[in-house]
Amino acid sequence: MAGLALVVYFLFDPSASGIFPKCPFLLLTGLKCPGCGSQRALHALLHLQIGRAFRENPMLVLSVPYLFTALLFFLKKEKNEKWQAADDLLFRGKAVWVILVLVLAFWLLRNIF
Amino acid sequence: MFCPKCGSQNSDTAGFCASCGAPLKPAANTGGSYGAPPPPPPPPPNYGGTGVKPKNWLVESILVTILCCLPFGIAGIVNATKVDSKYAAGDYAGAEQASQEAAKWTKIGFFVGIGVSVIYLIWMVAMGGMAAMQGGY
Repeated sequence: MAGLALVVYFLFDPSASGIFPKCPFLLLTGLKCPGCGSQRALHALLHLQIGRAFRENPMLVLSVPYLFTALLFFLKKEKNEKWQAADDLLFRGKAVWVILVLVLAFWLLRNIF
Repeated sequence: MFCPKCGSQNSDTAGFCASCGAPLKPAANTGGSYGAPPPPPPPPPNYGGTGVKPKNWLVESILVTILCCLPFGIAGIVNATKVDSKYAAGDYAGAEQASQEAAKWTKIGFFVGIGVSVIYLIWMVAMGGMAAMQGGY
């Protein structure tokens, strides 16, 4: 299912094709949400056009390494103390606040500039 | 146990002192002159006894925020902050509740995103999806 979606996003450019859904938040409010542009950014990323992906949605590009790290921690079953400490540092407590502030700041700023 | 009145030894299950007849059970002690026994300690936090932090759904919330074009993911992240702060403060029930809230918003975001996409696709097909696919706008 996810693989099929990736193939579709590789083959079709969301900015040139009408088959992709538009953001309902953008349609309703005229404001961009933190996820706007992620379809185009994903298309660009799959074609290894990092610069173009960054212009469409910088948050998506920046989150990719973070999400892959999360996947790595998820797949690691036996965590020793160092792994556990790194897990807590990256995905727990203060890190969650940092991400919340970053997402809200990104949401605000992309509608101003 | 020892009788609080006369000090003689009695069996732990005895209700009254075998020597002086004074009540030994705390329930019978209404005067409070020899002090009520301390209340039982609060039950330990119960996470299946492992002390594992409840899942904070952070990564799922981020995925919803980025991919679903819906601010439900933000509600998920807000609840993720609560999971950890409440857990750190010792409010295990609150942390568990926040975890379930975060899960709820993440799933709402996920399914609304999928639902909107599917409805949109059906609509596009009904409107003549092939034309739209070839049209360059």
